[in-house]
Amino acid sequence: MRKTSGLLSAALALGLSAALQAAPLSDVSEIVDRANLASYYAGDDGRSEARMKIEDAQGRTQLRQFTILRNDHADGGDQDFMVFFSRPSDVRGTVFLVHKHVDSDDDRWLYLPGLDLVRRISPGDKRTSFVGSHFFYEDVSGRHPQDDEHRLVETTDTHYVLESTPRKPGEVEFERFVTQVDRETFLPMKTEYYDDQDRVYRVMEVLEVEEIKGYPTVTRSRMSTPLDGGGTLMEFRYIEYDVGLPGDIFSERYLRNPPIDWLRREQD
Amino acid sequence: MMRRPADRLARLLACGLLAALATPGAPAWAADEQGSDAQGGGDETAGFEEDWGDPWAVEDQGLTWTGFVEGGAGLRFQEVEKLRRLTLGELRVRAETSHIRESYTVDFKGDLAWDEVRESLDGQLRELAVSFTPLESVDAKIGRQVLTWGTGDLLFLNDLFPKDFISFFAGRDENYLKSPSDTARISIYTDPVNIDIAWTPRFQPDDYLYGERFVFWQPAAGEAAAPAVARRAEEPDTAELALRLFRTVGSTEYALYGYSGRWKQPLGVDAQGQPRFPRLRSWGASLRTPLHEGLFNAEAAWYDSRDDRDGDDPRTPNSELRLLLGYEQELVRNFTAGVQLYTEHILHHDRLLANSPDPARAREEWRTVTTLRLTHRALRDTLTSSLFTFYSPSDEDFYLKPSIAWRRNDQWLFTGGLNLFGGNQAHTFFGQLEDNSNGWLRIRYHY
Repeated sequence: MRKTSGLLSAALALGLSAALQAAPLSDVSEIVDRANLASYYAGDDGRSEARMKIEDAQGRTQLRQFTILRNDHADGGDQDFMVFFSRPSDVRGTVFLVHKHVDSDDDRWLYLPGLDLVRRISPGDKRTSFVGSHFFYEDVSGRHPQDDEHRLVETTDTHYVLESTPRKPGEVEFERFVTQVDRETFLPMKTEYYDDQDRVYRVMEVLEVEEIKGYPTVTRSRMSTPLDGGGTLMEFRYIEYDVGLPGDIFSERYLRNPPIDWLRREQD
Repeated sequence: MMRRPADRLARLLACGLLAALATPGAPAWAADEQGSDAQGGGDETAGFEEDWGDPWAVEDQGLTWTGFVEGGAGLRFQEVEKLRRLTLGELRVRAETSHIRESYTVDFKGDLAWDEVRESLDGQLRELAVSFTPLESVDAKIGRQVLTWGTGDLLFLNDLFPKDFISFFAGRDENYLKSPSDTARISIYTDPVNIDIAWTPRFQPDDYLYGERFVFWQPAAGEAAAPAVARRAEEPDTAELALRLFRTVGSTEYALYGYSGRWKQPLGVDAQGQPRFPRLRSWGASLRTPLHEGLFNAEAAWYDSRDDRDGDDPRTPNSELRLLLGYEQELVRNFTAGVQLYTEHILHHDRLLANSPDPARAREEWRTVTTLRLTHRALRDTLTSSLFTFYSPSDEDFYLKPSIAWRRNDQWLFTGGLNLFGGNQAHTFFGQLEDNSNGWLRIRYHY
């Protein structure tokens, strides 16, 4: 498994340097798979801190701060995520755990420190607000590529433009979404979601990308809802890959007792 | 021993209160205006750093104090003798902090509250505990703490940690349903199974109704009323031990439970006619797993009432079997429903009837309860409407708990709701609480 992921990341790294010269890809599933890997599977594991600024239609702002730990079982396969909230004060100490499965529903838990309660979250509601932001739970852990039918509608000098329609329209709120995937990094740089009246009601834009340990990484992005004027800005910092997270961190033990050593920033 | 922490707590809380009251809401509104300005400008990222008031580069140093100030008011819908209309009337200050070190963590949570109903200023230490990892596969948390386990939603079978029903019925935040206890919790993690051991050297009962705020069934008077003297039962100086073995296999969580201690409410009567806490041992099991589009849980517990194993002592509760089935699913986006079927089966019910001074009002052999929880979240989780209903087909009584919460921003939270009790008879579990039906409002400022 490790070997495969190593090969894949090597392939990805090679792809980066060669992409500008190389002929564009025409296989949509290859583009989608590489975009999925670039967005959610950099390294075998990762750690990062994040801040969100949530702004509603009236211009009122809310803030969130959290640390994310991630561990991949296989590139493009099952993954574990853990999100530790530190701000604001009413969510401080809350921890969110996801066991993401490619072949079945994700398992999700929320630890509420006030009650010492490990609450399991029912599998359905993935496309609902992630802690009050304009991002959905699914935006944070990644939507399964096989949940949609993808079509390559255009290849520009810099981007692949993909149109995706849901395989189960009853389970999602969008009719389709259009993604601009960077030809060099395979990062989706902009995604527009269309409603049943063909209006763009939800837009994800990448505002900043940095290369970290050789992986192009989104460090600033924004999810906005143009019809009502609100949006959430998300920033990632102190990103590390391949830190050697033990797999057993993603369990009830560490919901109750946050793994302090892994939440601390790397000592320079 | 009690005095010094309480003094320190009071001082800390007073500081927090002053700080919060000195700027009533100012930071929140200021942030709003800043937000509007930022929206006018072209750069979406302008002002992001400033919004935080601190740069990222600074990690938390020393103690960070957080918490809230909260005012709450609640009124009974009707007058009852000996009690005030007010069921909730308080100004509460919460302070929390954590002291995190390489090898240990100390967590503190404390409340200071003026209670208008009882006209008293109460300090409550909700958490003061040290956590450490004595061995690689062992975690320990020792001190005052809140503990929860089991799979029920507001129904507790194997969770015999103390609960505060007074807070729950008065409309305090749901967190206050769980009371803290002074406990040593040791968790051992091994490949085949994980083990939790919670040892509480001094028995910690529930915060049960005793007559200062709510009426309840008075067998002697034959009606639901406030007792002549509001008095808590004497608490025995004995220990409690709670045990859980748990393991997750694939997506399914399994657990086995054990408890040795006492009934958490004074359900027994001693030779002098005073309420007492009879001895209790319990064994149980649970599982929780995804099913269809939702989550399914099942739990069972056998309560071994050690002071009346034969079930023929009318002054001591009989042993009983408790069973629970639950299912929860998101029905449409942001709207979740959960149902539970729950039953308590009294063992040796015939002997209970034969020895009961009032067989007509004795507990049913099978007490059944169904619950329904409906939750709707709107405006990106800032507006949450919820209805929790208990209905007992066997007792023909109910408890409805609708509530609505509006999180205006990171600081302000407005919550309101009702506690509606009723039933066909005045002595049943929820029926006896009918005259306690109340409405409540709370305003909270997080600092």
